[in-house]
Amino acid sequence: MNEEQKKQIHEKYQRALQKGERFWPDSIYKDLVVSFGIFILLILLATFVGVPGEPKADPSDSSYVPKPEWYFLFLFKFLALYGQLPVIGKVEWIAAVLIPALVLIGLFLLPILDRNPRRHYSRRTLALTIMAVFVVSMVVLTILANIPLTADENGRMTLPTRLQLWAGLFLPAAVYILLVLYALLAKRIGPLTGRLQVWTAAAGSAGMLALMAVVLAIAPAPEVAESRVAGTLAEQIAAGQELYALHCVECHGDDGTVTLIQGVEGLEGTVVSPINSQDVMYTFTDETLANIINYGQQSLGMPPFGKAYGGELGPSEIGYIVTFMRYSWDDRMEMPAEAVVSLPLPAPGEAPSYDVHVQPILQRYCVSCHRAGKENGGLLMTSYEETLTTGDYAGRTIVAGDPNSYLILVINGTPITDPATGEVLIRQMPPTRLMPPEYIDVLTRWILAGMPRTAEDAQAVSPTP
Amino acid sequence: MWKKFYAWLDERLGLNDLYKATLDRPEPKGNWWNTLGSASLFLFLLQGVTGIFLTVYYTPSPDHAYDSIQYIMNEVAFGWLIRGIHHWGATLMVLVVFIHMLRVFVTASYKYPRELTWIIGVGLLLLTLGMGFTGYLLPWNQRAYWATTVGTEIAGAVPFIGGFITRALRGGEDLSALTLSRFFSAHIWMLPALLAGLIGVHIYLIVKHGESAFPDRED
Ligand code: HEC
Ligand code: HEC
Ligand code: HEM
Repeated sequence: MNEEQKKQIHEKYQRALQKGERFWPDSIYKDLVVSFGIFILLILLATFVGVPGEPKADPSDSSYVPKPEWYFLFLFKFLALYGQLPVIGKVEWIAAVLIPALVLIGLFLLPILDRNPRRHYSRRTLALTIMAVFVVSMVVLTILANIPLTADENGRMTLPTRLQLWAGLFLPAAVYILLVLYALLAKRIGPLTGRLQVWTAAAGSAGMLALMAVVLAIAPAPEVAESRVAGTLAEQIAAGQELYALHCVECHGDDGTVTLIQGVEGLEGTVVSPINSQDVMYTFTDETLANIINYGQQSLGMPPFGKAYGGELGPSEIGYIVTFMRYSWDDRMEMPAEAVVSLPLPAPGEAPSYDVHVQPILQRYCVSCHRAGKENGGLLMTSYEETLTTGDYAGRTIVAGDPNSYLILVINGTPITDPATGEVLIRQMPPTRLMPPEYIDVLTRWILAGMPRTAEDAQAVSPTP
Repeated sequence: MWKKFYAWLDERLGLNDLYKATLDRPEPKGNWWNTLGSASLFLFLLQGVTGIFLTVYYTPSPDHAYDSIQYIMNEVAFGWLIRGIHHWGATLMVLVVFIHMLRVFVTASYKYPRELTWIIGVGLLLLTLGMGFTGYLLPWNQRAYWATTVGTEIAGAVPFIGGFITRALRGGEDLSALTLSRFFSAHIWMLPALLAGLIGVHIYLIVKHGESAFPDRED
């Protein structure tokens, strides 16, 4: 740029200032309006959308699918697509380092690389079209980020994967090449150059967006692994209680009082210290408790539960269990009022239903043993159908209206014995300690009423007052 | 009384000159797109204020980071609001800074005499992304941990020195307490200090050259 051009630019700018406005108050008022709008928007987002919860970091859980912050997704997807290319796809640094570095250097040096002194849009078609295609491809890559790249049995890319490669890599690359080519041949093409560039960029962008729409329509939806995240203390305690009921009740009982394990394969008759005692609660810190659950005490019979040690619990879940134990059994802690949730009980005379009353009781007292993979006489209780149909004594265990159903007998503390030999076939249930009478009553009334499933079914069989 | 006080101050501080130079300057006819720069500045300041509040309770150690964030969300009065604003503010800042860059690009405001303003601007964009990257790890949750594992791994693709860069970022072979304290200090000291300094230069240049006029057919 020569001195003459510089002078012209300054003179033109002075003329623009003459016709212009003052920063204070003309422009700053717009600035303040926009900033204030953003502030309000942020408060609304924080209040009504909030920050989504996530479980605590678990370095051992390498099955976790990493999700970068959304504004890095386009890069992430670009790398993934690039990795699908034959031969050069293996040279990772080209995509991970070289290309981003070139883009960045181009961006930094833009004012020096762009020697075109003109500023109006009609004179800058090359720069504007390249940037437009770049932004569209960023959007496309971001939206496609969650769609998996898959191969068929022969190891060849599936159709959605190939379409993604076109939408995210080949098409934009082809458009850049064409745009630059037009510019190089501008002298030959003449005044048509600008229009060609605009049309090519528009067609290329439309093609990328169309391919993206097709991929979204035909690609299998990505699986979202939902892991439960409890926010407030009450939620954490509730989550902890559920996890405790599922994983710990079989050995330690519903309230941690068990001293002699019964009904557990391989641990029959093992002595345990009651884990709800002051001994345990006062001597073990939260961290020690979490460690015991994480690593187990293999030599004593306590299995490890942490994912890193072959169990199925992550650090957040173990944390919830510890919180539950602490608030329920440590007499120095006070259970927050909103965390006290008692199981729903039916009104006198009302028939209990599976959905409302029975399922929560089974969940808390029985499912820990009565689920697949445990010693339980074949009786599974994770769903309505299972509860009614499984078990070595199915047909006698739960009989509609029969007060001598085995289930009613065992939960009342009457073991089932073989009439011929007197051998105990089924112990009392739960084997270590009976449930509180009100829950025994619920299960008994449920069977007597014919095992209604939903609240409506129960309503139908309740005697109308 | 007030006038006298002001005159006294003005004599020593040069308030009037300051006012003329920064606020009472002429500008070409404005446009709503030109508010995005100041919106970026506003977001930077807001992130600073909310971030300072967060550091009161946040603990940058793998054992306590997660729980301290949980504490901020559930126990601290308005902690959820402060964290919510900081979280969404980060997202919005990246978006606003990027659109600000696009508008500067579209109006070709990076041309003479504003080349340096642009170059410093690109630095600001990178620093803003760096803030996003380092801040993402701090809650020490699954998302944070694994995204950072992969993110730092990508740096390992640099020929020859890749391994060194990854180790320098992580402070060792794997993500650890060292990584967290490195990211924390980058997020609350190094990057913001650089950002603040460069924003200062950026704005000095804008005041010096004035806001560019919208290009017309003659440009
Ligand atoms: C398969 C049976 C079994 C299961 C399931 C089980 N434990 Fe244990 N647990 C044991 C045995 C056996 C011991 C060792 C007995 C002892 O130390 O008194 C033990 C010990 C403990 C101790 C230490 C007690 C002490 O005094 O040292 C705690 C705390 C504990 N378990 C909590 C749990 C929690 C929480 C769960 C559920 C996540 C759980 N356990 C699941 C069998 C089990
Ligand atoms: C500590 C583990 C454990 C818990 C908790 C438990 N059970 Fe059992 N249950 C068993 C075992 C083991 C058997 C097999 C018979 C036996 O060994 O006594 C069994 C058998 C049964 C049977 C006989 C099933 C058949 O067809 O063979 C019934 C009915 C039963 N349980 C009901 C319950 C109910 C209801 C609860 C909850 C209140 C419960 N159980 C809790 C371990 C458990
Ligand atoms: C933290 C980030 C940033 C802040 C706080 C910031 C702030 C500002 C402000 C307040 C203005 C004047 C108002 C306006 O034109 O909108 C401005 C103008 C400008 N910014 Fe930025 N900016 C940032 C990032 C960027 C980026 C990423 C670029 C480009 C790569 C950039 C390039 C420019 C240019 C060239 C101008 C002059 C525009 C003109 O005179 O018309 N800035 N910036």
